[in-house]
Amino acid sequence: MSAEPARADSGTADATPTGQLTPAERRLAADPRITADWTRRQTAETNLRALAGRAYPRVRGMFREPSWVIFEILLPFLGTSAYVLVYRALKAPEEYVGFVVLGGALSAFWLNVVWSMAGQLYWEKSQGNLELYFAAPMSLMAVLLGMAAGGLAMSSTRAAAVLVISASVFGVQFDVQQWWLVCVVFVLTLTALYGLGMMMASLFLLWGREAWHLTNVMVEPVYFVSGLNFPVGRLGAIGVAAIAFIPFAVGLDAMRQLAFPHSDLLVGTPPPEIEALILVAMTVVFTGAARWCMTTIERMARSRGSLSIRWQ
Amino acid sequence: MTGQTGEARRLPPAIDAVGLRRVYDVKPKAVTALDGVDLQVPPGEFFGLLGPNGAGKTTLIKILTTLLLPSSGSARIFGFDVATETRRIRRIMNMVAGGEQSGYGILTVREQLWMFSQFYGLGTREGWRRVDELIEAVGLGEQRLQRVSTLSTGQRQKMNMARGLLNDPWILFLDEPTLGLDVSAARGIREQVLAWKAAIPGRTVLLTTHYMAEADELCERIAIVDRGRILAIGTPAELKHRVQRDSIFRLQVDRLDGGPASLARLPGVVSAALASDTAPDAQHVTVNLVLHEDAALGGVVTALAGMRSQIRSLGKSEPTLEDVFVALVGRGLADEADDTEPMPPSSADEDVAAAHAQAHDPETGG
Amino acid sequence: MAVTEPLSAAVGGIGDPARAEGRGLVDTLRHIRAALLLGWRVESNWADPVLFAIYTVIRPVSSMLLLTVMVTIVGGSADATARTFVILGSALWAMLVSGLAGPAWSVLEDRERYRTLKYLYTSPATFLVLLAGRGGARLLTGAMGTLVALLFAVVALGLRIDPMAVDWPLLVVTMLLGLPPVLALGIVLAAVCLQTRQESWNYPDAFAGAMFLVSGVVFPLAILPDWLEAVGLVNPITWWVAGVRRAVLPDGPSSIGGTGSLWTAVTGTAAPDPLTLIGGLFLTGAMTTLVATALFRGSERRARDRGLLDRTTGS
Repeated sequence: MSAEPARADSGTADATPTGQLTPAERRLAADPRITADWTRRQTAETNLRALAGRAYPRVRGMFREPSWVIFEILLPFLGTSAYVLVYRALKAPEEYVGFVVLGGALSAFWLNVVWSMAGQLYWEKSQGNLELYFAAPMSLMAVLLGMAAGGLAMSSTRAAAVLVISASVFGVQFDVQQWWLVCVVFVLTLTALYGLGMMMASLFLLWGREAWHLTNVMVEPVYFVSGLNFPVGRLGAIGVAAIAFIPFAVGLDAMRQLAFPHSDLLVGTPPPEIEALILVAMTVVFTGAARWCMTTIERMARSRGSLSIRWQ
Repeated sequence: MTGQTGEARRLPPAIDAVGLRRVYDVKPKAVTALDGVDLQVPPGEFFGLLGPNGAGKTTLIKILTTLLLPSSGSARIFGFDVATETRRIRRIMNMVAGGEQSGYGILTVREQLWMFSQFYGLGTREGWRRVDELIEAVGLGEQRLQRVSTLSTGQRQKMNMARGLLNDPWILFLDEPTLGLDVSAARGIREQVLAWKAAIPGRTVLLTTHYMAEADELCERIAIVDRGRILAIGTPAELKHRVQRDSIFRLQVDRLDGGPASLARLPGVVSAALASDTAPDAQHVTVNLVLHEDAALGGVVTALAGMRSQIRSLGKSEPTLEDVFVALVGRGLADEADDTEPMPPSSADEDVAAAHAQAHDPETGG
Repeated sequence: MAVTEPLSAAVGGIGDPARAEGRGLVDTLRHIRAALLLGWRVESNWADPVLFAIYTVIRPVSSMLLLTVMVTIVGGSADATARTFVILGSALWAMLVSGLAGPAWSVLEDRERYRTLKYLYTSPATFLVLLAGRGGARLLTGAMGTLVALLFAVVALGLRIDPMAVDWPLLVVTMLLGLPPVLALGIVLAAVCLQTRQESWNYPDAFAGAMFLVSGVVFPLAILPDWLEAVGLVNPITWWVAGVRRAVLPDGPSSIGGTGSLWTAVTGTAAPDPLTLIGGLFLTGAMTTLVATALFRGSERRARDRGLLDRTTGS
């Protein structure tokens, strides 16, 4: 093994305030208490690096196993097409086709949250990665964000593909007046969605393998109450509740209102500006709850000893 | 031998555990995995925990690595409390377990290690440099671009070891790191750990194992653990000395007039008995000798010369750590913790034990 | 604890030459039964009301409501016939999705979660048979979901089914003939999942979503362009759904045929009669089963060649 550079001995460390030590110097300091004492900047940098590090396998995986092109783009496009044809068979107004296309595109993110975020920590525990994450000095929130960022790469590709292809094939005409608001709403939808995903990831970790079943309750039921293929306002009180609690419902409705501002079919829901504020609140609440959950769950898992027990 | 430098002596203990207890609330009956463990390991020591499956070794390591809270008692790593100062501890420690299947199969060895380097705050370039360095050091140079899912068991463990050394931890926890590895791979792992420790003085290693030879080879001090308690702590030599007060030799001669009794009468000889594994038609005589001290051997050799007996072989029997364990607990190291049936001893072991028993009552307490 | 007595020859122990050669159909049937039982134990959730609610009530009913609301809100251009058409098709969908997901999720679960895939594979039981058995168990669970959804539709959505008018023989035959091709399609997905990573959990759902387009579940095939309608006509699910519809609602519209459809243009009939439905289901089902078996064998061989059977994946 190659010789390590000379360690910063205690004399040098005393002469230089520890806040000015480089990470390498801190790592090789003569006193573990120096090594353990990180600055805020080092902590923040580590968490950012951890985020990038955790996103890395997901992004790499996209290119190393291309089956997702069929199952994440082609088949979802066909599924969206089926709903479009239902409306065409019913001779529904053309706006409904646009609603379906937007719903199909945005559902990519919801599915990513449900399938690749919610149960992910449980999978990590199952593989033995979770205890390594807990034993490392980064924040687990950084790991969750990294998972989200990595998954976002594939979801964005799917969403864009479904949107562009479906809109082209079915001749959907979007009439966006406020592009800046569309972008803001879109970003807020993602932050709220992935904030919810992080919260669910920590809750699933607590509930163990039974929580995997909850993933199944979050697809079709959420599609229904969120108005995947129809304006959620048509569901009355159920739609209102969905707007209040499900970021997918809020984001989708806001995007529809902005894409079809002159449609009189989008009734019964707040205007997009209000829905943007709802998304902000959701982001804050879900992200805060995720952070609280992770801390609590780590404490509970350490107390119960379930961090490394696969079957719990 | 303890590896402590002057600087290390000023540091708080690498491990300081007082009254550690851990009870798992499982059905039908709660399990006490640790039952009041006191342990202090100074900085720079290579310390071993030796015990059978279910002894509590992994539970202790999980508490010390902040993955598990103790039910009562306290533990500190370089002065940092494992219950409340987890972040600081995680910055100065790392862990490697045997049989780890962690990681992402889709990544290459290099990418996998780089990912973990980011978790420990290494810079992007520094991370790659450190990863490449460690890959060469552990002997995975040819596999660096191979996907993790295609590695053999030994290669995967080398990768895990590299991961454990990424951040140059002040204390490295090894939980049965050679479990399931072949002789060559296991030796490689041990050499890597020793080399790393030698390269950076002051680093502490806590190793848990149920391989006596591994503990004997690597550890400066060993704690023997069973049923959640530490039964004895000491250097390997100290522990072995606990169960052996007399010198035991196995002597093979071409003939012995008067049989073993002729040797038993000699000064300094506690007992002499024929070895039970001698074949009836053998052209030699094998005797197990128990002497008060090694020096008495001279008299035996002189007497044999007088009897015109030619010595074919002479060997000293050293107790093993398993002997230590058996003496302390009353069963073999390979037995499960809740299996009260002792391992049947070999015939040679029976002879030694019988010879020893003739002169002394064995001490069974801790 | 020592094993003191070797297995007797009566149970295939030492001295029984059949132990290495197997006992053909007897073994196969036993393996199917074991796989069904295993699948049932793993999948069935009768004892847990939450799981029962999720799989057997919430999911199927939600799928149905999604489509029913779509039809309802369009208002004047939709009629009760369209609603009935959609409701019946979407109720069947619960069973279809379960059947598609069964073998695929079994591969993923056994490989990633339970880490038993390699042990199952190296057992004397035929791997394909085991997967089919596991899929069959999930299919039966899905059937419960279909029944619950139909019950909900009758109670809450105004679906009118006259038991006296139901063509029970056609229903039984269609259901029985429809199960193998559904499982076969699930086997195709399992073949894909043998090659892909852990993230393939949602592949069955994606596949089922695509099947929506070419199976006449929620709209008649006549709406599709001719080439897509042709794809739908070789899809056994189309015949299965049409057969069940015809059996349950003999006077209702069929998903096959109709004005402007390829079927009508080629055969001259408005819709297939029951015998034609059975024949179409049998032929397309047999073709699908053969193709699925061949695809699975190929995937299995590739997985063995590349050492994929005992890997764990994940990102």
